[in-house]
Parts: sequence; C-alpha cells; structure tokens
Amino acid sequence: MKNLFGTGTRRSFVRAGALGPALPLSHLLQAAEKNPRGDSGRSAILVFLGGGPAHQDTFDLKPEAPAEYRGQFSPVATTVPGIRICEHLPRLAKRAGHCATIRGLTHSLADHGLGSRYMLTGNLPTPVLDYPLLGSLVSYELPAPEDLPSFVSIDRPVEGPGYLGPAWGPLSTGEKPRYGQPFRVRGITLDGTLTVNAFNARRNLLRDLDTAFRDIESDDSLLQGMNQFQDRAWRMISSARSRQAFDVAGEPETEMDRFGRHEFGQSLLLASRLVESGVRFVTVLLEGWDTHQDNFNTLARQLLPQLDQGLAGLLDRLHNRGLLDSTTVLTVGEFGRTPKINGNAGRDHWAQAACALFAGAGIQPGQVIGRTDARAEGPEEQGFSPDDVAASFLTAIGLNPHKEYDSGSGRPITAIRDGRPIPGLLSGA
Amino acid sequence: MAQSTCLRLLVLCCLILAAFYRLPVLAADIPQHPDFQKHVLPLLSRMGCSGRACHGSFQGRGGLRLSLFGYDFQADHAALTARGDEGPRVDQRSPDDSLILKKPTLQIAHEGGRRFTEDSDAAEILRRWIAAGAPGTDAPAVLRELLVEPSEVVFSDVTSETPLKVTAVWEDGSREDVTAFSRFRSNNDSVAEVTDTGLISSSGTGETHIVVFYDNGVTAIPVLRAYRQTAAQTNSSQSQSPLDQMINERLVLLGLQQAELCSDAEFLRRASLDATGTLPSPDEVREFLKDTRPDKRSRKIDELLARPAFAACWANRICDWTGCNPAQQAELGQETAVQWAEWIRKRLERNEPWDEIVRGIVLAKGRRDGQDWLEYAEEVSACFREGGIERFAGRATMPHYWTRRSMQKPDDAAQAFAQNFLGIRLQCAQCHKHPFAPWTQQDFREFSRFFEPIKFGVPPESQMAYKELAGKTGLQIREPSAGAAVTPDLLRQAQQGRTIPWRELYIQRRETTLSLALLRSGSAQLAPNQDPRELLMHWISRPDNPWFAKALVNRVWAAYFHRGLIEPPDDLNPANPPSHPKLLQWLENDFVSSGYDLRRLHRLILTSHTWQRSVRPQPDSPDDRRHFSRAIPRRMPAEVIYDSLKQSLAAADKQHEVRTDLTRRAIGDLSMRLAGTYAMSVFGKPERAVNCDCERSNQPSLLQAVFMQNDPLIEQRLEESGWLQQLAADEASSQLPPAAQLIEEAWLRTLSRFPTTAERDRAAEHLKNTATVSEGLRDLMWALLNTKEYILIH
Repeated sequence: MKNLFGTGTRRSFVRAGALGPALPLSHLLQAAEKNPRGDSGRSAILVFLGGGPAHQDTFDLKPEAPAEYRGQFSPVATTVPGIRICEHLPRLAKRAGHCATIRGLTHSLADHGLGSRYMLTGNLPTPVLDYPLLGSLVSYELPAPEDLPSFVSIDRPVEGPGYLGPAWGPLSTGEKPRYGQPFRVRGITLDGTLTVNAFNARRNLLRDLDTAFRDIESDDSLLQGMNQFQDRAWRMISSARSRQAFDVAGEPETEMDRFGRHEFGQSLLLASRLVESGVRFVTVLLEGWDTHQDNFNTLARQLLPQLDQGLAGLLDRLHNRGLLDSTTVLTVGEFGRTPKINGNAGRDHWAQAACALFAGAGIQPGQVIGRTDARAEGPEEQGFSPDDVAASFLTAIGLNPHKEYDSGSGRPITAIRDGRPIPGLLSGA
Repeated sequence: MAQSTCLRLLVLCCLILAAFYRLPVLAADIPQHPDFQKHVLPLLSRMGCSGRACHGSFQGRGGLRLSLFGYDFQADHAALTARGDEGPRVDQRSPDDSLILKKPTLQIAHEGGRRFTEDSDAAEILRRWIAAGAPGTDAPAVLRELLVEPSEVVFSDVTSETPLKVTAVWEDGSREDVTAFSRFRSNNDSVAEVTDTGLISSSGTGETHIVVFYDNGVTAIPVLRAYRQTAAQTNSSQSQSPLDQMINERLVLLGLQQAELCSDAEFLRRASLDATGTLPSPDEVREFLKDTRPDKRSRKIDELLARPAFAACWANRICDWTGCNPAQQAELGQETAVQWAEWIRKRLERNEPWDEIVRGIVLAKGRRDGQDWLEYAEEVSACFREGGIERFAGRATMPHYWTRRSMQKPDDAAQAFAQNFLGIRLQCAQCHKHPFAPWTQQDFREFSRFFEPIKFGVPPESQMAYKELAGKTGLQIREPSAGAAVTPDLLRQAQQGRTIPWRELYIQRRETTLSLALLRSGSAQLAPNQDPRELLMHWISRPDNPWFAKALVNRVWAAYFHRGLIEPPDDLNPANPPSHPKLLQWLENDFVSSGYDLRRLHRLILTSHTWQRSVRPQPDSPDDRRHFSRAIPRRMPAEVIYDSLKQSLAAADKQHEVRTDLTRRAIGDLSMRLAGTYAMSVFGKPERAVNCDCERSNQPSLLQAVFMQNDPLIEQRLEESGWLQQLAADEASSQLPPAAQLIEEAWLRTLSRFPTTAERDRAAEHLKNTATVSEGLRDLMWALLNTKEYILIH
C-alpha cells in the first residue's frame, strides 16, 4: 500500500514507553548549566500539617451544627467579607486577602502513611510505583541555584523522590532551627572544629589526588556528573552565601518575633531565607495534629497560635520583599478529622473532608472555594481530590502537571494524571 | 498491422476505463474484505487513534474510547459501531458520512487533527469495512507467529536503507503480508531509525533493535553497523572460554577492540567488592600483589566465593529481588525480615541450587506435614528465642514471602511473583493488553487465579486451638479465621518461653478441579485441594521455561557489570531483547544443566577475560557501553559504602572483625535496620516497597557528594576511627611510625593499591602543613574517601 495515510502526511508516533530509566545525570548536567535565575524565578513552600488537622476547628467551622459536632471554637470574620475562620487564627484572619482556602478536599485514605503519601505526591499510592514528592518534581524542572540545594526539607523528608531517583530527594536539614541556639544543617554546616580554611585545604588535597580517571572522563557522563556534584557540593558547604542562607540566627529580633520563637516559626523564617536565596522548594513540617484526644486544648494552646503566627509572618515577609508574586505557598495536612467529637474530647481520622490553604504566585487570593455539608462530613458537591490540589499547586508554580516522565519501569507516567487545577483558584497570571 | 491498432485501441479503452472507475488494479493490496481484527484495529493502532493520549486513554476522547494497544475486540467494536455525539460513527448506507471517516480526514473538527486523507488507502479500508456492515470479530483469530524479513540487518554505511516485510502467520495456517498494518519502533534512534512504513535506515554506529508490533505479536530485528572495519584482534595467547568467545565475536563484528586486563590491584578490589561487598584489607592487598603464582586470580576467586560475606552480600541482593521489607511483613517486621535474609544466606553459604532455594520460598507453608497446630505454634515461638534465627534458617521452607500484607490480594501476588522470579512485568496487563508482550488482560486474570487459594490466617480446623491459646495469652481477635498479629506483649511471652498463637500460611481447600493457564506457555490442571504453587514451581523449573533461569542469570550478570545482557533486568519481553542472545542462552543452558549451581555461575563470570577487563579502552576506541569491550566504572551499592567506610577506618587489630561480623554489617543483619535511614536513601538503598529492580539506584547525585564531604556521619567515622585514634595516641607518646609508611597504609585501606610517587609527595606535603601528623592523616583519609576512585568499582 503506497498511500496509506494520503499525501504528504508523515507520522511520528509517540513511543510506546521508554526503555529503562533515563539517566538522570544528563538531565542534571544540562540543568546545572542553566542560569539559576534566568527563568521565571519561581519557588514554592509547602507547609505540611502532620497528623491531620481538624478542618472544622481551623478553616471550615460549622457554628450551626449540634454541639457534639461543632466543637468549642467560634468563627471570626476575616478581612474578606463572607469568609470566617477559627477565632484562634486572628493574624491569618487579617491576611485572608492573601489566601485562597479550599474546603471539601476529600479522599478515602484515613491512614497517616497512605494519606500523607497521597497528599504529598498528588497520586493515589500504589504498590507498583513510587510517585515523587511534589518538591522533587519542582526541583527536577526548575534550574537549581548555584551553590544551594534546590529542594530543602525542614527537618526531615516525608516521602521521597520516587521514580525520579534519589538525585531529586530533598536536602534534609536534620533538625529544626531553635531560637537562640546554633543551627546545624546536616551536611551543609561545617563542623564547629573545622574552619573554612581547613575545609578548603582538604578540598585542595582531594582535587590533587582524585585524578585516576582523568584520561577517560571526557567520554563518561557518570564521571563528569560526579565532578560536577563534587564542585557544587563543595561550594554549598564552603560558600558564604550558603552559610548565610541557612544562618537563621543572623536575623534581627524583630523578624524572630514576627515568626515566633517556636520551632515552627523559626522553620518558616528559615524557609523564607532559603527562598530569598534561590532555593526552589522548601517543605516545613508542623506536627502534632493527630488529636485523638484533647483536641481543643492542643489546638488552642499550641498548634493554632503557632500556625497563626508563623504563617502570617511568612506571608508578611514574602509580601514585604516582593516575593509573594514568585512564591507559591500551600498549607495542608494528610486528612481532616471526624465530625463527631469522641469520648476523649478529640477527633479521629476523617479523610472525607479536609482543607487546604493556598497563597502567593499563581493564586487568586481572597476567596474560599468549595463547601462541606452542615456537619463538615463531606463536600457538598464533588469536592476536590489531593490530585487536584497537586495539579493546582504545580500549575500555580508555572509547571505542567500533566507532563510525562519516565517511571523507570519502561512505562511513561503523567506527573499528576488524575488531577485538574481547581476552577477559580488560579490567577491565570 | 490491424492487430496492433486493435491492441492500441484496447489499451486506450482500458486506460479510459481505469481512469474513470479507479480500477482496483491500482490498489491491489488493499484487502477486499477488511477484517476487524486483522485490518481495522491494527490500522487504528498504527495511526495512533488508540494511543494513550487519544482514544486509548481510559477516559477516551470525544466520547469514543478504544482499548489501549487494541486488543479488546468486543469493546472496540461496540464503541466504533455506536452512535457518536455528532452522528453515527459508522454509516453502512453512506459510508463516507461515517464519523470515523469524516473526523480523521478533518471534514469535521477533530482534536486529533488529520490522520489520513480521503483518497488514502486507510480511508478505503475503512470505507470497505463499513460498507460491508462493519462486522466485528466473534471468534478472534490466533496469531501463531509474526515473521519479519530480513531477520537481521547489517549496515555498512550511513546511506544504507532496508525495507522490512512483515508476514502474519495465523493458527489456521493462513499467511498474510501485514507490513502496512504493523507498527515499527527503534530501540535506539541514534543507531537506526525506522519509518512508519518499516523502512530502516542507519543513523549511527553500534547495535540496536527495530521492534515490529502487529496484533499481539512482537518481533525484534537486530540492526548493526560496525564502528569500524578492523582486523580481528588476535588473542591466541589464551584459549577463550565460551563466554569470552561469544563476547569477542560480537566485538569483531562491530570493529571494537578488547581492552587489556585490569591490573592485579584493580582485580582484587573489584572482585572483593562485587563478589563479597567488602574491601580487601591492606594485608590482603600486599599479599596478593606479592603473589607470583600464575593462577592467583582464579585462586582468589575461589577464596572469595567461600567467604561468609559472599553469602551475605548475595542474600541481601536476593532480598531485593524477593521484596524483603520489614514494613510489609505481617507482624514483627524487623525480626521476620532478618529471619528471611538469614534463611537465604545459609543456603547460599552451602551453595544450594537456586531452584531449591526458590522451591523453599514458593512452596512454603506454615506447618510441616503431620504437625498439629499447637506444635507449629511452639516451633514458631521458639524461633524468637535465643538461637531462634538459626532455628528459623533451619526450616525447610520460608513462609514470610507469602504472608506479607502486600501479597494478600491475588493480583498483587501475581505481579510480585512474576517480577521476583521471572523478571517480567505483568502489571501492565492488569489494565490493558501488555504493550510489549503478547499477554492480554485475560492472561493476567487467569494467572492471578493461581494465587487465590494461598491464605494467611487461621484455617478452620485450627480455629478452636488458636482461639484457646489466644485467650490464655491475652491476644484479642476480632475475626476467628483472620486471627490477629502478634503484639509486643505476646512476643515477650514467647521470648520468655511460652507458646503463643500464630497465624499460618496454608492452602484453602477446594472441591473442584481447575484448569489454569500459564501465561501462554502452557496450562495445568489443578486437582481439588492441590497446592497451586506446586504447578507454578513445576512450570518455572522446567528447563524450557522461558524466564526463570534467564532472569536469574541476567540479574547476576547485571550485578557484575554496569548493565545486564537484558536491561533493565526485570523487564524481559520481546521488545527488549538481549544484547548478546547467544551468550545469554548459553549461560542459561549451562546454569540449568549444572543443576542451577550459583557458585559455578559466579565463577564463570569472575574468571572471564570480559569481566576482568580494564576500564581503560584501547587508544582511539569508540565509546562502547553495550558490548563489554571494557569495564565501565559504577558506584558501590549503598550498603557496601556504609561497610567500606568502617573498614577503611577500623583499627589494625579490628580489620578482620569489621569484615566478618555480619551482625554489624550493612550487607548483613544491619540491612533491615538501615533501610529508610537518610544515609541509605541518599545512596539509593531501596525500601523494597515496590516490585521494581529500579528502586535501587547506584547513580551518583549531588546529595551524595554533600554527604561524603561533610555529613556528620562521615565526621563521626573519622572521629571514631580506631586507626586514627591509635595513631594520635602514638604521636602523643612519640611512637608514630614514619609518615611514608602511614601514607602507604592510607592508600591500601581505601584505594587498595600503593600510592604513586607523585601521590606520596603530595600527601607528605600536606602532612607537613598540619599541626599534627594525625590531623594531617585525618585530612588525607577524608580526601581519599572522597575520591571517585574510592566510591566507584572499577
């Protein structure tokens, strides 16, 4: 058959699956050559509320519901007419104009491990494949700053880079910054006894001794890659810029107090510094939301004031430095909590309803999207999935959530296959 | 003369008629009666209609959903003959008004664009099919073979082109040229390209495959173009092993030259690391380099294979392949994972045949035949007391493989079993026809049935005894047949000597005989109450099983080189052929006929010239990463790095212990504890959460460089180094050995060789510039540990 498709048509088919994992090195080598700020300069911060925050006691209050459902907190007005949030979040209430709240986030994995994995990767967990953290996707796509890691996790990573490979995991700081104490970032901070000069002397010795493969390096991307990583790592460890970026203790007291002197506040302060220095994605953990008992005391006395102060501080600082236009902030936990209060004044796991808070670049602020029913048991309509939240987040950052990657198992994988950006959430900018 | 005029007139009439009626003679190869299965669906597949971005997506497009990779004849026929939003998809009375003609020719808006023109052969085929009533396929034909000619292509220069001809051979014996209905793909565009009509052209030197797809057939054609035409390299000084012969044949064909053998120092380090996951000690290096016996390498190989570290290193690998993951165990994750690893390690130490090891895993049951439940419970309880691990390792079978939470659903177990023991990726066929192998969803479903009767819990006949013991020991159970996981409190009781209740792995009783299919390579009858795994085991250990021996042999090869003969090693399928099919077949046959002798396989590889080649190519050699003309440097696996750091820094009198105490080694008992820690995840140690060899990564990364340069763990190792501490003490009491000696020792401990003069000088210079020699040595060790030479196996 000579004319199968007709004249002039030349097909190029999408390959039915790549063969094996693409060498991440070639991608890394290319990315490293790009000018770090030569692109749109986008960054992101993900605040993960580990444990699953009670949505009806934070951003989705139901004052009309029966007492055993509505809980002990009352809603207060925010600076956006019609939007009310928990009374224990007064600062965030004043900054509602910066935020977009999602209500009716829903899924069915009420287990910490699975729920976290779902929320942080934007894909339903499966035994066949490890989906990457959203931060890994972002750092894979955006060029890295020169002497800083692209993706930082304060203090530990929840989940990992999945099929992208270990090269795209976060640098974990290993500990949270504590007010008044020196902060050591695992691997980056030089040991107290080792000066920069001594470290440089070591480095020079290494450079002089590491010559075994000089004669075959030019043809070998693995060896080249290792050279590049050596250089970059050394610069991260020894450069003033890097040390400064991580040196939270150098901040003035006014800034310390803006964020709050607790670990969470200090972590957010650090996150801000990192983003200011060019880090692309920072994850900050605030844990303790798994309030099966004593929900209201824990929230009112501890978690809500911290969240309120820290997050408000972050928004202020980013806004003041003109970074709210280039940084997207997402605050979310792995699920919500049971509508009916249990016998221990607590709430248990409830994945059918949860909230997410968006702010910053790419987001249309000053609104609430979605609604739950009278007792905050589930979304009134379809609700939104963690996939949708992830797709929205990535789109806001300027990435394509439906881009395909090589999953390492020969099968091409769409980053966030089942997620669609939430209508009305994105600013379209 | 009148005759010739008549002839001309006749010809003229024919031409006029032909032009007028577009006689079929112009399109003789368009099938007169296009068949749905044989022509229409393959056509749609070729044009990309049923691709995953279009109608093959699970949501379909524009309301039309087709099966991905086009094998669901019923569903596809129903979809195509249904009415679309904009009209009938097929209109028998007026075929040209059918949506499936109007849309892809862009007569109506079509997001997929113009796929063909109205006057094309594709349009004609669809037109004819529709006119004939758009018949479906009630009794699908079975494709016996997909013949492709030529069956291999050797190009001599870049201008060469070769067309492929594809013939379908159906079960009923009929044959048809289906070139126009096949899809073509190159496995490496930079070596050879192929057009959508099957014309292959050379785009570069090297070797690859062109893969042809039609119906559920997949055929791969090797395409080669030599790097250069060289005379065969004479290597007549030694007679070659069959392994080397087959590798070298290929090199000659491609015009590649073998690299020289690696040096003795390189050999010792590489062999120690690859075979036993351990650095050679400085004394061992000295001894080996001094040794003048001509067969010293072969002796060293035998020595290494007999070491306990060999068994531990490979037990750890087999744990990767079988998915030993504390987080997925039914209960007591750490303990049971260590039992699992130990069970395998013991058998590797005794060089038990691979098929026997697998048999012990696949046919595992909780209870031994004839044991009653209480005896069983006592036996298991004893495995958690003093000496319990050895006791467990002494069991005939290893049940933890099946009792994992991730194995409770038959579909999950089927996928795992296939990937673990056969190196095949069955999961694709769970949702659609497998893209590269002939398996359909039906095949997957039938294979899953083998796993349905495998149960973990409390079988009916044991429920009373279980419940009673549960009551006595305080174990809460909700559902009698499910039992409950052992709690820490119960574990303590067991450790103190009591018998506690355990769930067991058993086969559920059935009344009927079942006929089960074995992935298109056989079928089996399962008698009532027969263990289906017996049939599986019988099938996989048959010498003609296409995957069992091949998968293992290839995985072992992949561990000794930078790639397997099939890469990736857990994706055996017709579209992913081996780079050296003859060699792989030979290794496979040798393995099977030797009785699945693992040590023999290791020895074959380790003693070969191919494996012992230098990383340095011959001068002016093209870059070869596929044909094993030289060794390719690759990074140590995570556990080996962890252990090597300790070995390099351990005190002189601890050099033996740090290597042999497997309870403190990352390739040994620590493997399970270290899984998921920061250091191990940075270096790519898998948590074994998914069934994919790709979960382990030995690629370098930025975070690894940061780690090696400045992680607290590295500083801690340097700080706690027995050797450095001893030297500091010696220096303080003025008993330090001469710097030259220490420098030499530093090199032997890390790079397993003597330093060059230049290196000695540079090191000596550094030592002079530090406050103390010990400090300088610490810097030196740091630097050596951070070289590429340290962390790479080369």
